[in-house]
Amino acid sequence: MSLNPKPSPAGALRLRRTLAFRLTAAYSLAGLLMVILATASLYLVLRTELDRSTEMFLADKLHVLGSMLRERPDDEDGLREEIELESAARRYQQFYIRLLDEHGVPIMTTPGMAEQLDLAQLASRTRGRSGRSIAMAGRHGQPFRVTSATVAVGTPPTRSDTVQIAIDVAQEEELLARYRLWFWGILLATSVLFPVVGHRIARHGIRPVEEIAATARRITSTNLRERIAPEGYPSELALLAGTFNEMLERLEESFERISRFTADIAHDLRTPVNNIRGEAEVALARARTGDEYRDVLESSLEEAVRLSELIGDLLFLARAESPLTEWHREKVNIGELLITVRDYYEASAADAGISLVVNDGAEPLSAELDRSLMLRAVSNLVSNAIVHTPPGGTVTLGASNEDAAIQIEVSDTGDGIPTEALPRVFDRFFRVDPSRSQTSGGTGLGLAIVQSILTLHGGSAEIASQLGRGTCVTLRMPAVATR
Amino acid sequence: MKILIIEDEVKTAKFLKKGLSEAGYVIDTASDGLEGLHLAQEIDFDLVILDVMLPVLDGWQVLARLREASRQSLVLMLTARDTVHERVRGFELGTDDYLVKPFAFSELLARVRSLLRRSTPRPQETVRMADLEIDLLRQRATRAGQKLELTSKEFLLLTLLARRPGEVLSRTLIAESVWDMNFDSDTNVVDVNVRRLRSKVDDPFPVKLIHTVRGAGYVFESET
Repeated sequence: MSLNPKPSPAGALRLRRTLAFRLTAAYSLAGLLMVILATASLYLVLRTELDRSTEMFLADKLHVLGSMLRERPDDEDGLREEIELESAARRYQQFYIRLLDEHGVPIMTTPGMAEQLDLAQLASRTRGRSGRSIAMAGRHGQPFRVTSATVAVGTPPTRSDTVQIAIDVAQEEELLARYRLWFWGILLATSVLFPVVGHRIARHGIRPVEEIAATARRITSTNLRERIAPEGYPSELALLAGTFNEMLERLEESFERISRFTADIAHDLRTPVNNIRGEAEVALARARTGDEYRDVLESSLEEAVRLSELIGDLLFLARAESPLTEWHREKVNIGELLITVRDYYEASAADAGISLVVNDGAEPLSAELDRSLMLRAVSNLVSNAIVHTPPGGTVTLGASNEDAAIQIEVSDTGDGIPTEALPRVFDRFFRVDPSRSQTSGGTGLGLAIVQSILTLHGGSAEIASQLGRGTCVTLRMPAVATR
Repeated sequence: MKILIIEDEVKTAKFLKKGLSEAGYVIDTASDGLEGLHLAQEIDFDLVILDVMLPVLDGWQVLARLREASRQSLVLMLTARDTVHERVRGFELGTDDYLVKPFAFSELLARVRSLLRRSTPRPQETVRMADLEIDLLRQRATRAGQKLELTSKEFLLLTLLARRPGEVLSRTLIAESVWDMNFDSDTNVVDVNVRRLRSKVDDPFPVKLIHTVRGAGYVFESET
């Protein structure tokens, strides 16, 4: 974000990419454009006005001479006054008039006209033209505007004369030249001033961005506590800073979750490994009977199976989170799916003295989903429900639809979950009662797996529970695959 | 039946060799891909058990070269990575089956048996073991001439066990075959169901047929 000039081409390129540079360039270009527009339009107006006043002067003169010749053709003094004296009295905007008869012979001429102008050229250039004047250079290079007109003499007209008028417009040209000089001067000054001012404005505007960047640079995985203080920022950047802080919040939470998760994995791996190791060490410490060895081996096998299951569940979760995971969608009858789960758990439920009921509504429901994944999700829920429901209780599997969404509900009349634990039950390795981890079996990943299966289906899992009254988990998913 | 095991992990190769030899197969082992490939090209094996991660030549390369040489041996791949991509790659290259580590030895044995049996399917109408008789067509089972009152799932479970006598069937395999639960589900459920089946099939009779193999699963045989 530095605007320090760097000599290398790479530096120049980097400079061109900075926001400050772009803002400055945009401000400067816009400012210059406006200055050019304003001065250029003023210049044009001025030039037009000057032209118009010259034209009016010439038209006025022609009109006066015309009416004099028409009405008082014999008033030679009056004509002389108009043609010879009046012009001589002027210092600026001197004008010259020549009156010619029908044959082109001069009748009267303003003194000094021949010195100023090439009269032959004047005659040839204005012949046959009337109305607007034309520009012509004098003998000494001064600018003139010249025009001519044919005037009827006497009433009724006896002949027609030609009037040629030339006016020195050096004053106007000088004014315009001075104006142009100013124009370039202003342009030069603003083209220096605008980038400087623009750059200051841009730098001031993006300073908070630089501060945010600096904060971001300081943040590492071990230093996620850093936040941006958005006081005094303009509202847009305060919003950015707020968003950034929220992102940091989420990152920090995720990191904490991951490190807790890693610690949990380590713990859950340690227990079975410790059992295998300890039992083997003790068994080998002295000679044993065949049965004793068999017992140790069998126990090791059980622990190994536990480890395999844990690894399988972890792999499942990791795969479910990968965006590349492919899975198989098919039309599945929800009622049949629930009955499959019930058939599987029927014996266990009966053993535990629990009735397992499927309540799948009047009409058959179906949805596009991965049958084996959904089977797994519902199984996990039923398995949990059976473990946590005392004898005499009921576990109910239900399905319903609401618009384009399908809901599967697994509810029990069991122990329930304390309210403060509810938000965490879908976390990996979270157990409501940590001391039960060994006795209740399972890897502590069951509900996490349920949730990731529902996420894969574009749905969600929700849990509601009342201590001592029971728990109800609702799986919600679109009936038609959206992916 | 000759089986070649190409596996660089010494312990794995050792227990595979031991287990499969004891199951009645003739075993050769190779500890890297190239050695395994040479062996497989020299000798006609019925089955090659091939690890994916191998030194010199990896499992994919071995498989590809075997298929190039148009060796008709069956191939069972072992891998530590279970991704759809790997599966698809394996089947494209012509593997016959696929097993993810860690696996249960009983599962491997079951796969090996079913692969080697594939060529010679034998239709069965009745299964007999000791005084148990299962009539598959009429869906009934009798023991010592006495009809057993089984639910349909119990009948399926009994049939599954009885058709593969002497073979240890894992809980996962049982859950998958009988209840269509093709994932590592809550396997205690299988125990409960086996216990219920036993109460009907074994408890009233002196000779027990269904045996628990601790940590591994269940086996169906007439001697203890």
